[in-house]
Amino acid sequence: MKLEVDSLARCFGTTRALDGISLSVESARVLTLIGPSGGGKSTLLRVLGGLETPDSGTVMVNGAALATTAAELQAYRRSNGFLFQQFNLFPHLTALRNISLPLEVVHGHDPATAQTLAEAALSRFGLLEHAHKLPAQLSGGQQQRVGIARAVARKPAILFLDEPTSALDPEMTAEVLELIQELAEQGQDIILSTHEMGFARAVADQVAFIAAGRVEELASPADLFAHPRSEVCRRFLSKVMRY
Amino acid sequence: MNRRTLIANLAAAIGIAVALGWLFTLVFGMLGAQTDWSKAWEYRETLWRGWLVTLGISFAALAGSVVFGLLFLLGQRSSLVVVRWCCRAFLEFVRDTPLLVHLLFGYFVIFAPLVSRPLADAGWDDKLVIGILLLSLFEGAYLGEILRGGVESIPKTQWESARAVGFSPYQVYRHVIFPQALRRVLPAMAGLFVSLIKDSSLLNVIGVAEYFYNTRNFISRSYAGLEGYVPLALGYLVLTLPVAWLSHWLEKRFRHET
Repeated sequence: MKLEVDSLARCFGTTRALDGISLSVESARVLTLIGPSGGGKSTLLRVLGGLETPDSGTVMVNGAALATTAAELQAYRRSNGFLFQQFNLFPHLTALRNISLPLEVVHGHDPATAQTLAEAALSRFGLLEHAHKLPAQLSGGQQQRVGIARAVARKPAILFLDEPTSALDPEMTAEVLELIQELAEQGQDIILSTHEMGFARAVADQVAFIAAGRVEELASPADLFAHPRSEVCRRFLSKVMRY
Repeated sequence: MNRRTLIANLAAAIGIAVALGWLFTLVFGMLGAQTDWSKAWEYRETLWRGWLVTLGISFAALAGSVVFGLLFLLGQRSSLVVVRWCCRAFLEFVRDTPLLVHLLFGYFVIFAPLVSRPLADAGWDDKLVIGILLLSLFEGAYLGEILRGGVESIPKTQWESARAVGFSPYQVYRHVIFPQALRRVLPAMAGLFVSLIKDSSLLNVIGVAEYFYNTRNFISRSYAGLEGYVPLALGYLVLTLPVAWLSHWLEKRFRHET
């Protein structure tokens, strides 16, 4: 994927969540956003995913400018996938229905095809036995995996993951991260924000360190983790890597 | 239940039974001699017709209140601030004034002068139609607030997730928000519908010949006492109890699912 972000700004009240962010990625399979909480990772991800409109600045994704009208944004969201920290699934629908419903009403598949596709998505990640369970009957890790299955069931151009494992315990975190790695290896374009530095180092092609609404550093993981150039990044890494 | 609570329960049951028995004996002792159930039987057709009208009003106003409730909900969530404010003001006005006033004012001052003639010309019972409309508006105002509470109780992440999978605004409501919100407000809605059935009795003030109106006429014409009021209470219970039971049943069913 190719990404071109130029002086992107977004304010919430007096808080500058994005303070003129610029970012240029020529080609990357997996772009990882790291940095302190409240630094703007989520907001950037939400803008890139078409869930938030910026106050100013431009974004080019794979050579096309990001949509601005509601209808275009909806179409853009339909072509991508987005996963939040938690509560992604619709609690009143079974795992299977969570996947098949969007395939039906958003992507226009007939019910039988939607069901087949949904089952295929679940079985791809070893979740078929949970197909008829409600989200409340699944563990947090299983819920996130179903969420990812839903997002990739319609072959998204880019998969956006906003701290997908922040609400999970270490064991569940591992099962979700494994799945994401698997997807990346199969060629899925992914942009994710995470606090799992080990994972970022292992899977990402490019890592962007974001703090105070700006991109402080953008480099390959080997480079960034070994030789952080900026002072903030160095301090952040030394803190999070200490334990 | 252990021995002590068993004895306490028994004692309470006996106490309550004695008190009620005493009250009933007193009332029936005073009225029993004059109670003549054949009077009620004589008027059975009027009462039956009135009951059917009440049933009809209840169903029509139930449907009407759902329509108005949804309109008020959407109005309050409109992106236009003027629409939101107007809805808010109207809802406050409706909820803070008695239904009796709405019926009298709405019928005699607003609707009767406007639409009575055309309705009558078209062969409609203008009192009935306007009464149902006013009742629907009143209950719809409450329903709108109940629905708003339900919709706003759904976490923000659900709206976001729904948008993220590509649902249109309509689809977000239809497939994600309403199914969850309705479960939460079901008990409140059932309570409202029971109120609606009971409130329909107030339509007598604008002369709608519903169950209360016909029963009252029967009572004043035949000097009936118990034989008028007992069927009146039972007639409303027959309508309200199924609604209450249905809501308990639905509540239980959905509780297991979430």
